Amino acid sequence: MFLRIVADSFGRRPRHKLLTGAALGLGMGVATAALSVSLDVGDRLAKEFRSLGANLIVTPQADSLPLEIGGVDYRPVNAGAYLPEADLPKLKTIFWHNNIVAFAPVLEVRAEALPFTREDGEREPGTWIADVPLIGTWAYHAVPLPDGGEFQTGIAKTNPWWQINGRWFSDDAKECVVGTAFARKNHIKIGDSISLAAGDVTKIPSPLKVTAVLSSGGPEDESIVVPISRAQSLAGKPGQYRKLYVSALTKPEDAFAKRDPKTFTPKEYDTWFCTPYISSIAFQIQQELPGTDVRVIRRVAEGEGAILTRVRMLLWLVTGAALLAAALAVGASSAASVIERRTEIGLMKALGAGSGTVGFLLAAEQLLLAFVGGGAGYALGILLARLVGEKVFGVAPEPSLIVFFVIIALAAGVTILGSAFPLRRASRYEPAPILRGE
Amino acid sequence: MADRRITNRAMFWRIIRRLFGANPGRLFVMLLALGAGAAVTAALLNLQVDARRRLTTEFRAFGPNVLIIPKGSSAAGSETLPESTIHLVPVNLPNGRVTVSSTLYMVASVSVPQSGKSLPAVVAGTNPLGFVRVSVFSSSTSEANLNGPAPSMGEVCVAGARVAKQVGVEQDAELVLASGDRLESCRVALFHQTGGPEDNRIAIGLRTAQCLADLPNRISAIELIVPGTPVEIQSYIADLQRQLPDVDVRPIRQFTEGEARIYNRISGLLTATVGIVLLLTALCVMAAMTNVAMERRMDVGLMKAIGGSMRRVLRLFLAETALLGLAGGIIGGALGIFLSIGLGKAVFGVAARPRLIVYPVAVALTVVVAILSAFPLRRLASIRPASVFRGEA
Repeated sequence: MFLRIVADSFGRRPRHKLLTGAALGLGMGVATAALSVSLDVGDRLAKEFRSLGANLIVTPQADSLPLEIGGVDYRPVNAGAYLPEADLPKLKTIFWHNNIVAFAPVLEVRAEALPFTREDGEREPGTWIADVPLIGTWAYHAVPLPDGGEFQTGIAKTNPWWQINGRWFSDDAKECVVGTAFARKNHIKIGDSISLAAGDVTKIPSPLKVTAVLSSGGPEDESIVVPISRAQSLAGKPGQYRKLYVSALTKPEDAFAKRDPKTFTPKEYDTWFCTPYISSIAFQIQQELPGTDVRVIRRVAEGEGAILTRVRMLLWLVTGAALLAAALAVGASSAASVIERRTEIGLMKALGAGSGTVGFLLAAEQLLLAFVGGGAGYALGILLARLVGEKVFGVAPEPSLIVFFVIIALAAGVTILGSAFPLRRASRYEPAPILRGE
Repeated sequence: MADRRITNRAMFWRIIRRLFGANPGRLFVMLLALGAGAAVTAALLNLQVDARRRLTTEFRAFGPNVLIIPKGSSAAGSETLPESTIHLVPVNLPNGRVTVSSTLYMVASVSVPQSGKSLPAVVAGTNPLGFVRVSVFSSSTSEANLNGPAPSMGEVCVAGARVAKQVGVEQDAELVLASGDRLESCRVALFHQTGGPEDNRIAIGLRTAQCLADLPNRISAIELIVPGTPVEIQSYIADLQRQLPDVDVRPIRQFTEGEARIYNRISGLLTATVGIVLLLTALCVMAAMTNVAMERRMDVGLMKAIGGSMRRVLRLFLAETALLGLAGGIIGGALGIFLSIGLGKAVFGVAARPRLIVYPVAVALTVVVAILSAFPLRRLASIRPASVFRGEA
């Protein structure tokens, strides 16, 4: 009988139920879309922030002080310490290895360059240019991982603001990329060749082909970027590098992360170690690469943290407002649907139903509607969130099961709350005046 | 005739009054739905306008984004600029002030008198308050120390973490800087670790550095923190370059480009989210309102039975919902604007400035939604009053 009454209520007034359901579905759609976007946005934005480049820098602990002005190091060539390139795959073995987006070792060296100007298809050596800054690095390098597989990384990923007009060199080829200011000054074009030498030149070394012109807006515009092996052989430091840029996805630092790790209790230490704070990632890299100094590039990391926290909060507030509006509108809708059924309630009570039975019946009806409406709203919301995600980030957020349960619970809660008030009033109705139409 | 019209009008308003008074529960429910919609609309619109502007301010957490250096030099190398260049930089922009700091770089020998340790390091002379401001974002420890005595020129310096470690200097210790036969001494006021080249430098007052380098009134570079959207920054750079043809004005691309990308993403995200939330909220309110309106068939039937034409009946109901929409919009909109002020404060620490244009827009939108939601009543035109009363339809 109970089911029959519920089924009858739906069958008898389909348009009415449809509208209440639509209000519910739309409201929950808003909630789902806003929730999914908010849940997803932290990770997506953290990835976007990697377009600012590396946020960690690794240097040898024993290194002498760089005399760097405007990106040009005035140190004597042989001063300072170096680090072994062979250790680098270890970076992908730290606890947060999945958060390491890219890394690139750098070895800077000064050398003499001999460009070959190419006129009439003939190669003719120009004059030697003294004291050219060379930057040896990886462009796109496949790092073999200890557990098999490869990791694609390089300077193109750690310094994404470097604009390349042409293509990056391949790491094992005799190729190089020249800075735009250097190229302009010495009339070098893509396709030209340059010989590089350091120290006394007895014979002209085999030249490197220019594959691209680099524009970075910084001191790199004056230099030549070469594969790191080339810089190593020119510096006489095979298999070594001096600076390592690491770009890692991190969680913005809070008050906890800013404390000194030495003051942590063991439990706090575990929490800190197992959270991708920039400081814990730096610590783990330092453990993996002994003899290094891992420093956080504060300018990038803290600006990123501040903005990420703000944006996340903003979106949560938007979500909160959306939830509130949806809840109020849906609650109002279900309240209305109970208020309008005074006659029905009066009739049921006249036929001997208690207030409890009537309330239960109506609540069951509302809940059924909530589940259907909530489910439809979830589907709609996911669709919209997908649209937003694809439009803004090019990637759709993963539908999350948690959101589904939250939405269904919310839908049920809101409808019950919305109908509770009029239902309580309904329980006090005297059937006779209602039936008489008073 | 005129009399009739007046009577008609009086009757019209009387019915409206009755419609409102008859069922306070329903009235409350409708106002709740409309008010909630209006509040969210007003709050989000206000926040949306404000947040985009506020975000560009947030981006200044990254520090300088524009660099002025001598023409032709790749970076701040050996060439210098006259210090007066700094006065040619326009600082008052419509959306905030440009922060300017000039620096003179040089290599000097740094030594600690107590230990006798000495090594060459880069010394950066900046305007004394400028370097403090720049170092604010450097490390958490330095922030606390900034409240100490204000640094005066020449007496105090800020040592980068790596310089301090290598030369073995402690806080409040004395440092002697030497370049050629010129000597200057300073007290280390604080350390900073930024992960950037500042770690390898000693920062002192600009005058002191100029004396040390024997380059009076010369500087190597000017760093600017320019507020605004990426487009505004671009045009500022172009204008500045035109104004100062003798120097190189270049964006610090790492930050200007990264920012542009992130700004577009965030503002796109915000627009899309707000748009969807507003659209769905409007539809949701409309569905709720229509639901209520459909319950009025009895009223419609009665009015038709006593001779009301469908147009007049409809006009009555439209007037009712429009009034409701107006009331809901006015109450909800005001609530929403207060809400957005609170939200702005929570997110950005600064109360969002209420935009007055948002208020009428929110009210108008609510009225439109309310009227639209009453339109399905037109379907009731085909109702035969008798069947309503018999309880058939």
